[in-house]
Amino acid sequence: MSGPTLRTLFLAATLAFSAHAIADDDPRIERQDLMKSVREAAKPVGQMMRGDMDFDADTLMSSLETWLDVSTKFGGLFPPGSESGEETEAAPAIWTDREGFDKALAEWQTATQAAIDAKPASLEEARPIVGPVFNTCKGCHDNYRIEEE
Amino acid sequence: MRRPAIVAVALVAVVLVTAWWLTSPQRMAADSLPAHTPDVAAGEQVFWVGGCASCHASPVDGRRAKGEDKLRLGGGLELDTPFGVFRVPNISPHADGIGGWSTLDFVNAMQAGVSPNGRHYYPSFPYTSYAKMRVEDVIDLKAFIDTLPAVEGLVADHSLGFPWSVRRGIGLWKRRYLDTGFVMADMDSEQLERGRELVEGAGHCGECHTPRDGFGGLLADQWLVGAPNPDGAGRVPNITPGGKAVGDWSVSDIAYYLESGFTPDFDTVGGSMVAVQENLAKLPKSDLDSIAAYLKSLPAR
Repeated sequence: MSGPTLRTLFLAATLAFSAHAIADDDPRIERQDLMKSVREAAKPVGQMMRGDMDFDADTLMSSLETWLDVSTKFGGLFPPGSESGEETEAAPAIWTDREGFDKALAEWQTATQAAIDAKPASLEEARPIVGPVFNTCKGCHDNYRIEEE
Repeated sequence: MRRPAIVAVALVAVVLVTAWWLTSPQRMAADSLPAHTPDVAAGEQVFWVGGCASCHASPVDGRRAKGEDKLRLGGGLELDTPFGVFRVPNISPHADGIGGWSTLDFVNAMQAGVSPNGRHYYPSFPYTSYAKMRVEDVIDLKAFIDTLPAVEGLVADHSLGFPWSVRRGIGLWKRRYLDTGFVMADMDSEQLERGRELVEGAGHCGECHTPRDGFGGLLADQWLVGAPNPDGAGRVPNITPGGKAVGDWSVSDIAYYLESGFTPDFDTVGGSMVAVQENLAKLPKSDLDSIAAYLKSLPAR
């Protein structure tokens, strides 16, 4: 490999790493990234529920694991000082009604854990189990997310 | 000297009588009601399409009512609008609400915007949309509301600025804006007709999604193209096929959104639409498909 290419690679890697490190340091960015991963995981599951994609137990399980993981981390990403900026959609209610926010997160976690434990093997089994998990998304957004235009 | 004075007095009298006549509440006659046996189950469907609970269910601890509390229609919600503050009345079957109303009283309120004691209602109560409903659906709705809990408590009157505070003036407003005809004239199929009935009538989608003129009348030539949020910041989106947010959604995407609250990107429904979506989720799938088909049939704007 020639010098310039190596140097470019090194530079790119350094930049990527530092951008990542900065993002990791900012809870506002980190929680947005986690929510994006939640949404990505929801896409195939939703498509299965709608019948636009064949049921696949592994894909469903992998999405459920992602949600369970995020649901345990998410509550820790709202320290004082992270109420605004970085286009956050976090509603003030997260800080004024922390108890309610924690309860909403716990409901998400419980519903997700229940879905994992149920090991749904078909669309018919999955529908009534996934529905409650999806509902916790809406329930929490309704109270703790700001609607931006 | 005398003659001009008499002419002036006569002119003023003519103007007053004309104004009185022009602004008088127009009620439907008892014999205009069809013979119809109320169907409570059908009325419950109308109740959810109509979104009655979204405004009339009494807030719980300052928050929107959820679950069973949506059936306690004691009112009390305040709508902060450019015209002033509207306070949503009690419509539960209690004497403080609509307890004791006749079917005709209820139909007049819903479709003519006139109270049992002959006063105009402000069009914050969307009777301009409800006027397009089938009267049988309105009768079924009353039968369902009559089965709900009676909630005590009168709600204070609205606090509006002049000239909106002159209730009688609504008579003029109705002459201009109250119309029982549909906005979209020709529908090619029964499904589209059903969609139109749901969207333009009971669903009253246009009340938030269509912009208004300076007197608060809906601009029919900008039907469902989006409008400023009537109660708060931001905008309510354009839901015609030309809309930025939903223009590329398919009929199935729209129907699934109304059923589940999820967009095709798997974001969740937000803002005032949360309550609307929760209500519409109670409808049969065929009705959600009809709403979606109607929206996709609109001219892209």
